[in-house]
Amino acid sequence: MSEGAQPPTPKQIFTDLSVRLTGFDRAELAGTGMIDTYYDTLLRIIGEREAGQLFRYAAEALADDRRVGSGDAALEQKVIENPRFAAVVVSLIKLWYLGSWYPLAGDYRDDNGSTADDVEHVVSAQGYREGLVWTAAGAHPMGAKPPGFGSWAEPPTLIS
Amino acid sequence: MSDTPDTPDTPDTPDTPDTPDTPGIPELPDGTTVDGQSPDYDIVFVGGGIATATVAKTVVEKAAAQTPPVYPRILILEAGRATAMSADKYDTYVEAYQEAPIKVPNSPYPASRSAPQPDVLDIAEVPSDKGYFVQKGPMPFGSDYARSLGGTTLHWLGTCLRMLPNDFQMRTKYGRGVDWPLEYTDLKPYYERAEWDIIGVSANVEHQYYPIKNVEKYFESADEKKMRKGRYLFPMEEIPSSYLDDYMAKLCADLTVELKDDDNKTHTFPVRVTNTPVARNSTPTKPDYQVVGAVGNADRGTRCEGNSSCIPICPAQAKYNALKTLYDLIVKYPDRPLKKGEKPRAVVTVRSQSVVMSVEHTQEKGKKGTVTGLTYKTYYEDGTPAVPHTVTAGTYVLAANAIENATLLLASEAANNSGQVGRNLMDHPLLLTWGLLEDNAGAYRGPGSTSGIAAFRDGEFRKERTAFRVEIGNWGWNFPENAPYDTVHDLVGGGTDGQARMWGKELRDTLGAILPRQFRIAWELEQDPEATNRVTVDDRYRDRLGKNRPVIQYDLSDYVKSALPWAAEASRQLFAALGIANPVRRPVYEPGDYTHYDADDAAAVEHDGVTYWVRGAGHVVGTHRMGDDPWNSVVDTHQRSHDLPNLYVVGCGSMPTLGTSNPTLTMTALAIRTGDHIAENLSRKADQK
Repeated sequence: MSEGAQPPTPKQIFTDLSVRLTGFDRAELAGTGMIDTYYDTLLRIIGEREAGQLFRYAAEALADDRRVGSGDAALEQKVIENPRFAAVVVSLIKLWYLGSWYPLAGDYRDDNGSTADDVEHVVSAQGYREGLVWTAAGAHPMGAKPPGFGSWAEPPTLIS
Repeated sequence: MSDTPDTPDTPDTPDTPDTPDTPGIPELPDGTTVDGQSPDYDIVFVGGGIATATVAKTVVEKAAAQTPPVYPRILILEAGRATAMSADKYDTYVEAYQEAPIKVPNSPYPASRSAPQPDVLDIAEVPSDKGYFVQKGPMPFGSDYARSLGGTTLHWLGTCLRMLPNDFQMRTKYGRGVDWPLEYTDLKPYYERAEWDIIGVSANVEHQYYPIKNVEKYFESADEKKMRKGRYLFPMEEIPSSYLDDYMAKLCADLTVELKDDDNKTHTFPVRVTNTPVARNSTPTKPDYQVVGAVGNADRGTRCEGNSSCIPICPAQAKYNALKTLYDLIVKYPDRPLKKGEKPRAVVTVRSQSVVMSVEHTQEKGKKGTVTGLTYKTYYEDGTPAVPHTVTAGTYVLAANAIENATLLLASEAANNSGQVGRNLMDHPLLLTWGLLEDNAGAYRGPGSTSGIAAFRDGEFRKERTAFRVEIGNWGWNFPENAPYDTVHDLVGGGTDGQARMWGKELRDTLGAILPRQFRIAWELEQDPEATNRVTVDDRYRDRLGKNRPVIQYDLSDYVKSALPWAAEASRQLFAALGIANPVRRPVYEPGDYTHYDADDAAAVEHDGVTYWVRGAGHVVGTHRMGDDPWNSVVDTHQRSHDLPNLYVVGCGSMPTLGTSNPTLTMTALAIRTGDHIAENLSRKADQK
């Protein structure tokens, strides 16, 4: 898909990055209703300046990988394995999957400082309910989105 | 721990023990208190949970139906809050659960410093006074309860098994524990009423397989009019067994577990997966059965919808909770003067945030006496000091959970000629085992458990070691390994190197391959009553209102511990039949047995050189046992204090032994029996006026 001449916005980059990190497509992520919240969460916790750097590297990597046509080689090298961003990526994946923010690794905090929000917390009840782990498990969040009477007796089906 | 366990107190032997009066005839001061004033209420209840709800409903309905009818004025004092009596407010509990970082049974329920509640997160190495309990050890007591209107039924699983006939005769049959002063047949009609009139239980008799000769006869009803030819029907059809249950049943179809006793004799246990009777709404078996939905929103919760969070909260209230019965009472018997032309009726008043501090009485040690009032404190959320009150009644009912009842009686020096108050504290110690199956079995769907294995619930082996029940869990490794959270942490990694190990499509697919194959079993051991397992009070430990906190001494007897290797061996044989005999440990994920017990866990128990973990089941039982002999029991078969005849002490605390059933159903049956008894006495009093 061509974005035309317009460079992607930071939030678009954030979404594209999240798609690659989670294995869920844009529609699935948008369907959670959590993109804006998690974008804000990330900016609040690592700061806009550092987030800007992350998005710059991510945009480049995403573009590189897109040019090659398949694979995540550039993303892996420039973001996931990059000591500057590795810890952020881990927390971001967990955020999407579990709806909770998990504090950045100690080394990251030593190098980059820390913010008051960088503590373990459930971002919101909705974030909990929309945790991708439940969909990945072919289930539903415990205490929400009930599948209906007797559904548990049916053979499991995985949405993939 | 420095304290030596006390030997049971021998009560001061009176010259001639006060012989109880004619059983059943109350010694109530007939409508007046000792100082000649009219009491404020006919009955005051302490605690707004299922025991109170059951006794109150039974009394009100039965008293009104008697000749002459009686319409008691009832007060219910609840220490916690009453903030869930409408559907939207209940939803705030659901939201609190979803937002809780660690989801334990009490996560949804607002704790108050004025009415603190135990929490499993406070369990630590003993001795410890980290939480509400003061834990003296040698083991921590591993269970909690909720102090909110509705009580612990807010977060129970809803399992509703009756006790087996031999469970009532442990001394006679197996030389262990004590016999009950009642037999199964005495309680059977009350079990039926508990299942139909209070809780609403879903099950099919034909899918119940117990280690007794004739299961159909065990359920056979004396009510031939309601139950055709006595063939018992539960009020609702069974909750379907999970796909996981069926998967296990298939693989274990031919399994007979063989266990050797100390004399090398082999005991055999044919494994049969049994659908569990539960307090979750399903389809009525008879057209006249009215399913009870959510409080304040009757259309919700009329059938279990599979939220998979029975513990800690059923968002739909398809699972029974005591709010349902209490709500019904306050709607039908409101706390307001009768309107012109309104038929006479009972009045039920619920006063929350009211913590009972003491039972006032005239009892001297070794003698009988009368309860003359209760003192309580009402606290507010706005920081104003709690307000002390006194209330009087003709009849007093303590129904505040076994540990709270005992704490209150001990602090009041009441009803304890037997020296048994607070003693014989029991739980179902849980041995968890867990594994990863070869196939996708659809974990993380459905109620917490839909089936179990009943084979180990009874047998001659109970002379040597306790019985146990097997509960198959539907929520993967949620309990033992905090999954799916820890599974995600394992796969994504991060740790100190801070780098993601797995991500993207691979992460999604791998979680999809692992999580639905996780399962766990809880081997729920019967615990025997021991005088040294006890609740006491110590004035050094009080809460914010000045109420004594429960001080607990707890351990497992050798009799219980001897069941641990049996449960573990039964698990190994079961896992072998499931094709997952090989031991594996996280963070590796492959089919196998993941059970492991590390010695540094607060719940570690060592037996014969082997370490196990023993968790609490939330079944708080004992502390005011019932019996015929006032010198070794606290209450009689009507849960009436031997020492203070206008006092009833009700709940799981009255159970002399525990069997392998989750105790709530039995406690409810006993509460109905108590309700009948109180109603009869009210009528008799009315008659005498």
